[in-house]
Amino acid sequence: MISRVAEHCFWLARYLERAENTARVLEVNHTLLLDFHVPVAQQWRPLLIISGVHDYEAEPSAEGVQAFMTWDRDNPFSIASSLAWARENARIIREVISGEMWERMNFYHLWMQGHEGRGLYDANRSEFYAEVRRINQLLHGIADATMSHGEAWEFFKLGTYLERASQTARIMDVKYHTLLPQVEDVGSPIDNAHWVAILMSCSGCEPFYKKPRPTPIDPGSAVAEFLIFDEQFPRSVRRCLWECQEATAAAAGTPAGHKPTEPERQLIALIAYLDARNIPDVIREGLHETLTRVVDSVHEVGAAIHAAFFAADLRPTPTRLQSPPTAHAGATQTQSQA
Amino acid sequence: MSTLKAQARPGPSLNGTPAAKPRLFDGYAAHPTAWDELFDRHGTPHAHCTALVERLGKLHAPEFQSRRTSADLAFVNQGITFSVYSDRRGVEKIFPFDLMPRTIPAAEWAGLEVGLVQRVKALNLFLHDVYHDQRILREGVIPTELVLGSKGFRPEMVGFTPPGGVYVHICGTDLIRDTDGQFLVLEDNGRTPSGVSYVLENRAVMKKVFPHLFADIRVKRVEDYPRRLRDALASVAPAGAGESPCVVVLSPGQYNSAYFEHSFLARHMGVELVFGADLFVQDEVVYLKTTRGPQRVDVIYRRLDDDFLDPETFRADSLLGVPGLFKAYRAGNVTLANAVGTGVADDKAVYPYTEAMIRFYLGEEPILRNVPTYICARPEDANYALDHLDELVVKAVNESGGYGMLMGPSSTAAQRAEFAAKIRADPRNYIAQPVVTLSTCPTWTEDGAAPRHVDLRPYIISGRDTWVLPGGLTRTALTKGSLVVNSSQGGGSKDTWVLEDDR
Repeated sequence: MISRVAEHCFWLARYLERAENTARVLEVNHTLLLDFHVPVAQQWRPLLIISGVHDYEAEPSAEGVQAFMTWDRDNPFSIASSLAWARENARIIREVISGEMWERMNFYHLWMQGHEGRGLYDANRSEFYAEVRRINQLLHGIADATMSHGEAWEFFKLGTYLERASQTARIMDVKYHTLLPQVEDVGSPIDNAHWVAILMSCSGCEPFYKKPRPTPIDPGSAVAEFLIFDEQFPRSVRRCLWECQEATAAAAGTPAGHKPTEPERQLIALIAYLDARNIPDVIREGLHETLTRVVDSVHEVGAAIHAAFFAADLRPTPTRLQSPPTAHAGATQTQSQA
Repeated sequence: MSTLKAQARPGPSLNGTPAAKPRLFDGYAAHPTAWDELFDRHGTPHAHCTALVERLGKLHAPEFQSRRTSADLAFVNQGITFSVYSDRRGVEKIFPFDLMPRTIPAAEWAGLEVGLVQRVKALNLFLHDVYHDQRILREGVIPTELVLGSKGFRPEMVGFTPPGGVYVHICGTDLIRDTDGQFLVLEDNGRTPSGVSYVLENRAVMKKVFPHLFADIRVKRVEDYPRRLRDALASVAPAGAGESPCVVVLSPGQYNSAYFEHSFLARHMGVELVFGADLFVQDEVVYLKTTRGPQRVDVIYRRLDDDFLDPETFRADSLLGVPGLFKAYRAGNVTLANAVGTGVADDKAVYPYTEAMIRFYLGEEPILRNVPTYICARPEDANYALDHLDELVVKAVNESGGYGMLMGPSSTAAQRAEFAAKIRADPRNYIAQPVVTLSTCPTWTEDGAAPRHVDLRPYIISGRDTWVLPGGLTRTALTKGSLVVNSSQGGGSKDTWVLEDDR
């Protein structure tokens, strides 16, 4: 498929996933603060840190940070910015995504821009964040059911899981920034409540509780283990990376047993890095350090994907293609009729 | 009667009796002179419109209004919009759509169809001649300097025959109806005519909003257009392209006002939509940059003017085109639709000669007639135009979209003085035509159904064969009395119904 189109598919998925995760983090923080007293200065600043915002100059108040992370179009990480960019990417490749997907995407774009979204935000904050989460969930459902599962689909999946791997790591890292780790707090009710909140923000409570594990275990380690290593939970870091590896191989058309492309090689290395460890190793080496390594590596994988598929200098002497040229399989594969 | 009682039992005026809710066409006041597309001079529906008027006319105004609201919503939600250039964040507007269809009887359409095919055939022969033997110029049928001096004439095309010999693959010919109901050709758009996506979307929305009308009245389908276009383009692919040539739509990019249409066509044709930067040329062959390396392209439906196609041959500052594309074209390795250099055939100063072209190349009488035209390049025509500016429409020959135009009867003295100066300075650049009172069609306005002027742009596709999309785009002025229907000037559009039969 056209490199530029693949890139738009990839970023459409990333922006959608980012909007969802930003809403998750805001929602969980909002809920958590209703239950526990946390010093004002610590309440909202961590959200800015994990989102990579370093230049927020005002005092991070509840309303200030939420507005900044939800509506501010000058903040590239806000929900409004993510959705606007998702929609712009969708608009450019409208002929590739299905008509139903486009219509929903456009509907929510108008919803965010009009007074409906704003009204819900003012009237019922939790429901607003839940609705934003549903945008991505709905679009993925529509994509799954209406888009050809060809190359465009693989790039869509790749964008989703790559963004999610990094977001899950960032969400866990909130813990590091919220509570200055003090030995006497570990295992306290507040500590445990925080871990539950993090689990909730990843929709992980039920799968977590259903999973048999030896007792007694310190809940912090158990949650971290689940969110990093679980093989089945679709938001765990390892599962996301594995999905990325699959999608990368499928997008590149690399048959099993063949030499992987550079992004796939990096993904294999990152998964191997995790597989070489268990949760006690991670705690010993530092959870924050491990998560930082994941986030940085995912960033590098993103750059490798860009180099391999989107920005490759595709002008070396093209091999004379036989007639009929191979473009056609690609052309039909990436099209979906409305 | 106590107040309380009156509230409990509202009077008839609040109770929705027919008297309170007029039906759709009640009190429709036809235009005094224009031909009306639905009603005759006595207010009786034309025979072929009876069923439509009867069914649509059952609706009360508020019912119609609510369907209109849902139609508008459908356009907004589907993002069927065009961009407004002036805004950086890209304000998108919907092209106003009117729900009252314009109908054309089957028999009349059959005549138009033959006339349009005849016309496009002659235009293609003319273009081939102009870039080869120039017989029509040597025999003095059309003044040589008028053709060779046209901005649309491309010397680079001389001696070259495009694959399949077709120049104008897609033609949008603008028709109007005069006060006698006769169709006339206003102009041909042989470069990159736009608007066909609205024809298809308008129909889709009409079917959603008024399904029962389509159940009762048999209307010719328009949905085949994208497939027909794809097949026609594939049929004139270069010789080496094989069984299933690679066809792409080339768009100037997502900020172009017609981007919706480019994307729409690619989606419905089932081909890739590409930007200039997605293509490159090597050894005079065009390739597409894909995630798995370069892939050869055979046919490009380009929605980009000649000037921007190739910075190596045309405008060097174009960032939208593909360097080396024209060389690949001249080498016969890629088909461009439309061909380069078709602008010479839709130059408004060449247009008056299309009837002569038909006689010259086909030895036939033209079926469709032109609007009488004064070519200011001819001194006697220029003098006449200058003396009668207040009665004429003056148009710049290479402008479109309703720009660069003077509507004589509604102009101010200052505007006329300005155009007189322009004509004297550059007579080749202007033509003048008598004002034709365009036909009207009932259109929904704030005051209910009212007559508004319309034109018609049928789309003619030529590959190995020629095919005409039944109907086309009916553009409608939305302001009372206005004769300018262009979307850039605030016009809207309607669904156009060509009937299967005229029962």
